[in-house]
Amino acid sequence: MPRENKMKELTSNSTTSISQARKAVEQLKMEAYMDRMKVSKAAADLLAYCDAHIGEDPLIIPVPASENPFREKKLFCTIL
Amino acid sequence: MCDQTFLAIVFGPCDKCSNEKPLRAVYIKSEQLSYCSLCVEMMATEGLHENETLASLKNEAESLKGKLEEERAKLHDVELHQVAERVEALGQFVMKTRRTLKGHGNKVLCMDWCKDKRRIVSSSQDGKVIVWDSFTTNKEHAVTMPCTWVMACAYAPSGCAIACGGLDNKCSVYPLTFDKNENMAAKKKSVAMHTNYLSACSFTNSDMQILTASGDGTCALWDVESGQLLQSFHGHGADVLCLDLAPSETGNTFVSGGCDKKAMVWDMRSGQCIQSFETHDSDINSVRYYPSGDAFASGSDDATCRLYDLRADREVAIYSKESIIFGASSVDFSLSGRLLFAGYNDYTINVWDVLKGSRVSILFGHENRVSTLRVSPDGTAFCSGSWDHTLRIWA
Repeated sequence: MPRENKMKELTSNSTTSISQARKAVEQLKMEAYMDRMKVSKAAADLLAYCDAHIGEDPLIIPVPASENPFREKKLFCTIL
Repeated sequence: MCDQTFLAIVFGPCDKCSNEKPLRAVYIKSEQLSYCSLCVEMMATEGLHENETLASLKNEAESLKGKLEEERAKLHDVELHQVAERVEALGQFVMKTRRTLKGHGNKVLCMDWCKDKRRIVSSSQDGKVIVWDSFTTNKEHAVTMPCTWVMACAYAPSGCAIACGGLDNKCSVYPLTFDKNENMAAKKKSVAMHTNYLSACSFTNSDMQILTASGDGTCALWDVESGQLLQSFHGHGADVLCLDLAPSETGNTFVSGGCDKKAMVWDMRSGQCIQSFETHDSDINSVRYYPSGDAFASGSDDATCRLYDLRADREVAIYSKESIIFGASSVDFSLSGRLLFAGYNDYTINVWDVLKGSRVSILFGHENRVSTLRVSPDGTAFCSGSWDHTLRIWA
């Protein structure tokens, strides 16, 4: 009886690891066969995005201090 | 409504045959998999199929890993900084602390901006979660969590609620009310339950769903109203420390980073990992999508930040210097994606030129580790939180 149980345990452990290994193989297959683009094209797209939006980036092209709520020198306390 | 969401058919690649089909959950020796109906039938006969052994599967996995690297290398024709040589260099940066938010009694661990570009929620080691008005530095709400180390907090897109969690292994949602008589803690709703600490949380495009990452190695998507688990994401080999949702309106993907040094991109509908990247030498503390959604940056304990392009499926830039030896805890992009702000454990914030790979500025001010950093929704400023108990707004 105890021997049978041990066998069952061994089998179920190896079945779990087999199914895990099988899943890992499936996952790697999917990743290996995915469609990729060349770095030169991907990099060009990143550059293009930056270029298109850099004018609106207030941390690069600062907006006038009066329009940036953090840079303006407004007093928020009153002297009692 | 939440019932409908829960019973929705998941359409996607079958775990077995990789075909796009409606999937169903299948349990093999108490492990949950998603098979298409054909594979469910085939699986019934599978017990006997043994020209496969564990060893042969492991060999197949190794050879596939090799093939993956080969395929990626084939398209590596140029470096990002080479392509960026023709781009104008950035001018001098004058960024200073414009506001200091004081009030936490212990290390600030996490913060998030509200979509109104003004309010901030922050959480700390002593269990306090505070909502601030960043213009005036006033505290608008404060709640004390029943646990310490509140490692994650997030603002709901509507601005009407916050979510937070940490060592309590849960993510709780608190509706924000301006009624002085109401106790915020009374309306608390427990949404997520993990088996280890909560490291990160984020609302999806609406107040109705929350994505969480946990020390138990999984991420999960929850329905806020009912607390139902909608999808879980298994694949990390160790604690998941951070996550970020893809920026698009119709976006259905997110990226997560963990202690297994991997960054993984997931499909939210099927629960499947779409891509994974393993080039860091240590835990990945922070991941953030590039504003276009085609790339993401990561900050790690190996003292580097890296940029991964999703369509080229590889790392395209490393932001590091020999003089930087402390881990990066938190990263975020400026609005255009040209600047990467990274907070480090050596108390500084480094500002990197994303395209050229060079550092444009170092910001000093915090008196202890910078633990969290986010750029405001309109890009006019960014906020950093630190173990020195304060948050600073820089612009």
